[in-house]
Amino acid sequence: MVDGTYDETPEAEADGQAEAIAAHRRRNRLGPIFWIPLVWIVFVVLLAVLAPSLGLQDPADIDFLALQAPPNEDHVLGTDVLGRDILARIVYGARVSLTVGVAAPLIGLVLGLMIGIMAGYYRGWTDEIVGTAIDTWLAVPGLVILLLFSVIFGGSLPTVCIGLGLLFIPAAARITRATTMNFANREFVLAARAMGASDLRILALEIFPNIVWPLVAYILIAIPIAVVIEGALSFLGLSVASPTPSWGGMIAEGREHLEETPHISLIPTAVMFVTVLSFNLVGDTVRRRLADLRDRAI
Amino acid sequence: MAMPLLQVIDQRTYFETGRGLLRAVDGVDFELHQGRTLGVVGESGCGKTVLARSIMGLLPSNTRVGEGSRIIFDGRDLGALDEKSLRALRGSEIAMIFQDPMTSLNPVLTVGKQIGETLIRHHGLSRHAARGRAVELLRDVGIPQPEVRVDQYPHQLSGGMRQRVAIAIALSCQPRLLIADEPTTALDVTVQADILDLLRRQQIERDMSMILITHDMGVVAGRSDEVAVMYAGRIVEWAETPELFRNTRMPYTAALLNSIPRVDDPPHRRIDAIAGRPPDLIHPPKGCLFAPRCGHVEQRCRRHSPPLQLASDGTHAQACWFPQSVGTTP
Repeated sequence: MVDGTYDETPEAEADGQAEAIAAHRRRNRLGPIFWIPLVWIVFVVLLAVLAPSLGLQDPADIDFLALQAPPNEDHVLGTDVLGRDILARIVYGARVSLTVGVAAPLIGLVLGLMIGIMAGYYRGWTDEIVGTAIDTWLAVPGLVILLLFSVIFGGSLPTVCIGLGLLFIPAAARITRATTMNFANREFVLAARAMGASDLRILALEIFPNIVWPLVAYILIAIPIAVVIEGALSFLGLSVASPTPSWGGMIAEGREHLEETPHISLIPTAVMFVTVLSFNLVGDTVRRRLADLRDRAI
Repeated sequence: MAMPLLQVIDQRTYFETGRGLLRAVDGVDFELHQGRTLGVVGESGCGKTVLARSIMGLLPSNTRVGEGSRIIFDGRDLGALDEKSLRALRGSEIAMIFQDPMTSLNPVLTVGKQIGETLIRHHGLSRHAARGRAVELLRDVGIPQPEVRVDQYPHQLSGGMRQRVAIAIALSCQPRLLIADEPTTALDVTVQADILDLLRRQQIERDMSMILITHDMGVVAGRSDEVAVMYAGRIVEWAETPELFRNTRMPYTAALLNSIPRVDDPPHRRIDAIAGRPPDLIHPPKGCLFAPRCGHVEQRCRRHSPPLQLASDGTHAQACWFPQSVGTTP
């Protein structure tokens, strides 16, 4: 009589389950909206990494015979105002954009993580000090900080990474604090303490693995933002100093000649646009996946 | 007789709240010898869990512990130890199991990591050795295919299995005292008995002492050596387990016993819930705290609070002016 109450045999149930999983996989298959941007990102990263061995022209070399040349057989993407090869400058400029794009959010994340995890775990006065400090930091205009930074330390790649990184601290700290608070009162933390774990161990072994995924999701948003900000800084002349090429700098250099030779500004603009869009599209998909994974795990 | 492993002397654990001082544990004394199991029984909010956390030294920051309160474990006054020595003690000599294995295990760490972590910390085992030991422990607590389970995450295990994992973690360093705080309350009825029997078996095999906290008299019935019944932060009756069930004296204990539904009850019989509510622990009333809910209340009960009195033969204590010498069912 117990058997009669089941509509399906265990095998049929397993089949149904397998089918459901297969359907789920089909629905979740990663489409061209994920793959095309990913291919572009990989392509740009490879170009940036392999730049010196690609047989490109020197990005600082001036061809006096071809100032502001449109794309031709000598210069595939033409030359800029000073007769420098735009293709070479795009590729070398990618090194700057990608370095800043990854390093700045990482710096902000590491510092924000340390600050936020303390505030979220200890609460009390630690939390108040951190909260006030973050509010103060947010009230200071970011551009002024970056301006100060490049005036004091000069416009170099490390300066830009650190300066920009500092601006990512508040958001990273707030996300860390909120997620830490969510986990700090869970019973498994109490259980770990009951088994003799110290605060440091609890933070590193019990809480950190739980909060790392929201932070990965955050960094995926922060990368394209950092690339755009770096572009804006270069445009304003606050990033790496000339003649080191950067996308924002290239756009700025060509802006005087938009009417006669628009390609000088538009090519780096297009490359930056496609790259940032690619990061956003890939980041969105990965974030959704991470959220799904978490939901299933808990 | 040898010195008890654990002595709790006049434990008072109060919490500072917005309304005033909440007397969660209000003068508890007991002793527990090596290799014995003490069942602590009482309603929700009677102070069982706070008592357990007081022993572990895991209390929130708004706690005030009474001046005369002492917890002496193996001759050491735990209140006098610094945080570092307490940490060394927790997990290795005193371990704890929590009510809900859904929340007491870390969702993002494998079972093996969670068991091994304590071994690495307290016994300095290598990662590899810790994993091997974790497999053995999983086998000890009756988990089939421990080599597979050791690399799984909590969400891949059933509730009963998770609690077995929690037990394996607690047992990993061979503690001398195990505190199980409602270890089966969150579990399916069918696995409750398995888990309780596992705990009892491990306690006897390892010659541990155990404090088994529950709200269910049925849980402690065959699985403890002595029982302390708690009410409103105090122990109101204590006896060896068979004696307590045979010779219930305190009306509250009798009421707890009557609130268990029995298999041989006629269908649709109303369960004898205990009428009324537990007293306000911030402004406790005068006299016996159970008096407002007691069926045998007399004038004296409302005026004077009865002390916990040990009977002349030393096997039974109750805090009652008019102890009943009746059995379970009046």
